[in-house]
Amino acid sequence: MKDVKIAEIPDIDVDPVTLDIIEGGLKNARFEMDAVLFRTAMSPVIREQHDEFPMLTDPRGRMVVGQFGSYISEMMDSFDQTVKPGDVILTSDPYHCGGAISHINDWLVLVPIFYENELVGWSSMFGHQMDAGGPLPGSLPTGAKTIFGEGIRIPPIKIFNQGEAEENIIKLILNNVRMPEMNRADLLAIVAGCRAGEKRVLELCKRFGKDLYLAGCQALLDRTYKAMSSLIQQNIPEQPVSFEDWIDDDGLGHGPYKMKLTMWRKGDHAYFDWSGTDPQAVGPVNFYLNEGMFKMFIGVYLIMIFDPQILFNDGFYPLLHVIIPDGSLLHPRFPSALGCRTHALTRLFDVLGGALARGAPEFSTAAGYGTSPYMLYSGWDRKGDFFYVMEISYGGIPGRPIGDGMDGHSWWPLFENIPTEYLEAYYPLRVDGYTTVTDSGGAGFHRGGNGIEKRYVYLEPGEISIHDDRWLTYPWGILGGKPGMRSEKILVRQDGTQERLPSKCDEVRVEPGDMLIYRTAGGGGWKDPLDRPVETVEADVAKGLVSPEKAQQDYGVVVGDQKASQQLRDKIRAERDEGELFDFGPSLDEILARCQETTGLPAPVAPVPLPWAPMESAEEARKRVLTQDDR
Amino acid sequence: MAYRLGVDVGGTFTDLLLVHEETGDLSRVKTPSTPADPSQGVLTSVKRVLKQRQVSLKDVSHFMHGTTVATNAVLESKGARVGLLTTAGFKQVLHLARSQTPGPLAGWIIMVKPDPPAALEDTREVQERMSAQGDVVRALDGDQVREIVQDLVDSGVESLTVSLINSFASSAHEREIKKIIQELHPDFPVTLSSDVLPEIREYERTLTACMNSYVRPKVEGYLSNLEGSLGDLGLEGEINILRSDAGLMTTGLAKENPIYAILSGPAGGVAGALHVAGRAGYSDLLTFDMGGTSTDVALCQNGQPTIARETKLGYFRVKVPSVNVHSVGAGGGSIAHVPEITGALRVGPQSAGADPGPACYGKGGTDPTVTDANVVVGHLPPQLLGGEMKLDPEAATKVMQPIGDALGLDVHQAAQGILDIVNENMAGALRVVSVQRGYDPRDFALVAFGGAGPMHANAVARLIGSFPVIVPPSPGLLCASGDLVADFRDEFARTLIRRVDSVSSEELLKILEELGEEAKDWMKREGIAKDRQVYSFNVDMRYYRQGYEIPVDITAEELTASGTDFLAEKFNQIHEQFYGFQMAETPCEIVNLRAVGVGKVPVPQLPESAVEGPDSSPAVVDEQRVYFQGDWIETKVYDRAQLRPGNQIQGPAIVTEFDSTTVILSGHAAEIDRYLNILINPE
Repeated sequence: MKDVKIAEIPDIDVDPVTLDIIEGGLKNARFEMDAVLFRTAMSPVIREQHDEFPMLTDPRGRMVVGQFGSYISEMMDSFDQTVKPGDVILTSDPYHCGGAISHINDWLVLVPIFYENELVGWSSMFGHQMDAGGPLPGSLPTGAKTIFGEGIRIPPIKIFNQGEAEENIIKLILNNVRMPEMNRADLLAIVAGCRAGEKRVLELCKRFGKDLYLAGCQALLDRTYKAMSSLIQQNIPEQPVSFEDWIDDDGLGHGPYKMKLTMWRKGDHAYFDWSGTDPQAVGPVNFYLNEGMFKMFIGVYLIMIFDPQILFNDGFYPLLHVIIPDGSLLHPRFPSALGCRTHALTRLFDVLGGALARGAPEFSTAAGYGTSPYMLYSGWDRKGDFFYVMEISYGGIPGRPIGDGMDGHSWWPLFENIPTEYLEAYYPLRVDGYTTVTDSGGAGFHRGGNGIEKRYVYLEPGEISIHDDRWLTYPWGILGGKPGMRSEKILVRQDGTQERLPSKCDEVRVEPGDMLIYRTAGGGGWKDPLDRPVETVEADVAKGLVSPEKAQQDYGVVVGDQKASQQLRDKIRAERDEGELFDFGPSLDEILARCQETTGLPAPVAPVPLPWAPMESAEEARKRVLTQDDR
Repeated sequence: MAYRLGVDVGGTFTDLLLVHEETGDLSRVKTPSTPADPSQGVLTSVKRVLKQRQVSLKDVSHFMHGTTVATNAVLESKGARVGLLTTAGFKQVLHLARSQTPGPLAGWIIMVKPDPPAALEDTREVQERMSAQGDVVRALDGDQVREIVQDLVDSGVESLTVSLINSFASSAHEREIKKIIQELHPDFPVTLSSDVLPEIREYERTLTACMNSYVRPKVEGYLSNLEGSLGDLGLEGEINILRSDAGLMTTGLAKENPIYAILSGPAGGVAGALHVAGRAGYSDLLTFDMGGTSTDVALCQNGQPTIARETKLGYFRVKVPSVNVHSVGAGGGSIAHVPEITGALRVGPQSAGADPGPACYGKGGTDPTVTDANVVVGHLPPQLLGGEMKLDPEAATKVMQPIGDALGLDVHQAAQGILDIVNENMAGALRVVSVQRGYDPRDFALVAFGGAGPMHANAVARLIGSFPVIVPPSPGLLCASGDLVADFRDEFARTLIRRVDSVSSEELLKILEELGEEAKDWMKREGIAKDRQVYSFNVDMRYYRQGYEIPVDITAEELTASGTDFLAEKFNQIHEQFYGFQMAETPCEIVNLRAVGVGKVPVPQLPESAVEGPDSSPAVVDEQRVYFQGDWIETKVYDRAQLRPGNQIQGPAIVTEFDSTTVILSGHAAEIDRYLNILINPE
């Protein structure tokens, strides 16, 4: 960034009450950004499902409020132009922002905030575009081998220059997408959201004076640093602990891919090392993990328990060190395909939760449905109009210390389903049923949530795509809880014939009357199912969430017969082995050996590293990161 | 038949106003509420006021009532057992809800999901299906319906809801099912989703209809009791219930659709504030109702409340027209604390409630609350004039000490800090209803009421620039006065999802006129005189494929004269105002058409006094040192009952009355108007 006067952060004291007021003002601003976007965006993915992320930063680009860690300093280092009031910068290229956005569907908008000609911060948001060009509607081809096979890649460029729209650039971009009107609306909605944030920051500067406001931002960052320092010492063990889990396949028949995390602490500094994770995949399931974002994930997990009202921000970043080898599944080399990174993104939380559970099992949860399942359907209707719908589905939330996992809910916050009536009013499909899969939640003292079953009946010829995972490996249970059931997809043709569809596929032709049965995975159970009160199990059976058979087999409950239940439970207890901390279901070898038989699909073949993308060694990665963090 | 009664049943007090329709002679009574059977508290206060005024119930022509019976049934989970009939394949519609878990990331770990108003065990699937265009995909199986209805009734459900997929497009199957139920069980309460909320989105419609069923037996029982007891006492006039949108409805309708009265209480406050401010000469206002545990704020423009289509009831979002009240969980009882991990000063969301209440109440409270902070700085004098309670400043100071210690401040600074943060939260709530919707709060007056509103209003107004602050007499009774001045109101809506460019104005006019006829029929049935009938139209609109609609007011004349183009134009303007941009090249879409019928109720003449001189010194009853932003200032304390119209007060000052205390800050001055309101303005 050239010729920009970046405001100095003064070293002055901020009284505690003023600080809390600035904090409240920033929090309100962030929610206002959301509100503006939801109400004006056009694609159901942003509007109904809330796939979008706001952020406000200080002059140095550090996030003071938001949901994801900041990426701005890295981005602005390589931005070779000046920035002026009224400018709006857009990018969709993960390789140009250190993975801050992790696939080209996320359009990231940056609005610099100038107060009296000095840059006092940034207002930024990104949202998932329903389509970003490329060979297939949705721009998430499961067969892409490089990012060039996914869609339009926008480097950081100005789409507004001092308040004036750069119409030629916008035209060029929109010419490459299938529904330019929708992308334009969503883009303007994101800009409007950023402007709302900008406005509030300027008000705070005016009210408290720029210096006090900026010192306040610094104090908020310091406050989080202090809080995090003690949380690390309380919750991260000094001795390294590891946890590993898998994503099932890369959409091209390779898999499963291991993700391994080792963590330890030295003083109040914590280290998170992803060495041991598999090399990057051929297919688009690579997840370009931004270190800052991962720090934020860890912070959120830890801070939430102790002061949920705290403002999440970047203040604690210097305390965390994240090591990810280049060329691994989590740091793929350019130009790897990245579109379907949602499986690895979700598994990351399973792995993080598992690693933390090694230290504090009682406070930990099981694994959930393990991804963001998508269904995409497109074609031309009989009037010749193009239609395209994308829906994010949900599944079983894991059993938790506080209670059962919710059935068919979203693990990602604030996402929502699309109303059936909305789908049917706007798209040529009918939902034959929308329910949960009986028995899919892992048994436990606190039951894992059931996965979702949604039955789509297509009314026009077209093509569908599916993105899901956990069809091969199981969402694990914890502390005696059992694993949840796996996902599956069945296409029932109009004539009644059935076929299994892979969990990742594209360009599946459908005809009017064909029905897709879309089942997502359940969540793992928490603690011993034999300790679950008999009446609670019976209530689940009455609701149809658990079958009488499963009640008997996993919970030792004979519905309606208290005495038989007691005897059965005693018998199971006497006969079973001492359990492990985690229950992953059958061993990976056994799963692979019986894959065809149990899933109706061939087992994936072991991945081979790509010659053009060698993986950095663990030692090199550690050295690189720690030298960098020292600076 | 010359009197009118307004009764508001709140959580703590039942407030009653009796007014003579011609002379405007007014009496007030405040008695403790009786939560177990709220009608007892109502009867007690009715008897007391009748005795006081030597009036018979026979002389009361209108009995207007704001009730929280429905709200409390929901908040306390004490509603009826509801049976639900859904379309086959959608039994879990309430169980799945919208699949949402709260933020931030990992919020699901601590999410507590309350039971829906109809249990999954009590939900049955009906073999039928409508398309989104309203065509029958699968015919209804009447025999199967008979079977499951019998099964549900036998199993002991107390109230039934029918909510089928796409019933917003055609309600034929829902109506057929209702007929079958009534054949089997003529008096069984049945709610159809297409009656309560004929709008797209199955979860919201099902939830709203089930909520109606959930509160219905309770409200029905309560209203029948009340009608019986008041009838026994000689009441011949009508009982009317205040709806959430600040209109009145008859008890007959309230028994069938009690969900429309779910925000009856706050609506009374808004109606009262509108009336008070209107008489004082202000038609654009923000209402500020601060109580013990929560604060309600709303924006009114041109003398009208803004009506929202959706309201939050605990965890649930219920879609009924309601005054657009934004509620924050902060009030006089909110507890301040300093989490060790961050050293930040937090106020709320925990509240000391009514029992034990703030420490200064001397009932064993040990947590520092907002009220305690007000006592410590002297904004709330320990001896309230005419108040029944004496406050304990020592206890308040004691609980404030740890807050000060944790922050490195003295107790007075700590107390001031708590007030600053609370005031900031309140200002934030007011910004939500104004700035965030494209309004400038400086164009609005602020009407303060509720137990704590007048104490904080001046400070809050200073933050957002809303002046004057209007504090009505007896701010605690404003909701009851709102009941007295409300009009009858009902809505008649139809969903019609069409792009503006593919629909003719004739087509729209035809539907609107039909809805208008429905509105007229309703007013006729309600016995509203022809010359008091008014109805208007609005259309919910959005850009094609947006998800949220904005209501746009229109008239038949506008539509005839300018066609549908003008609809798009008007929508573009509103979108620009709310969100700062418009997309003139994108087609607009109509989602719902609506007629709103209003039956005007003659407003009673409330008292008015002649203006006297500016000298307010006769009302001064005390002078105390009070802490304002770091300074101790000699401050006069006034008795509100002795203030006369025209009197002026220089801030800082404190005005006390039997149910409230008003704080006037330095740099501000107050004047008493002809209606005994206190009007505060900056100097």
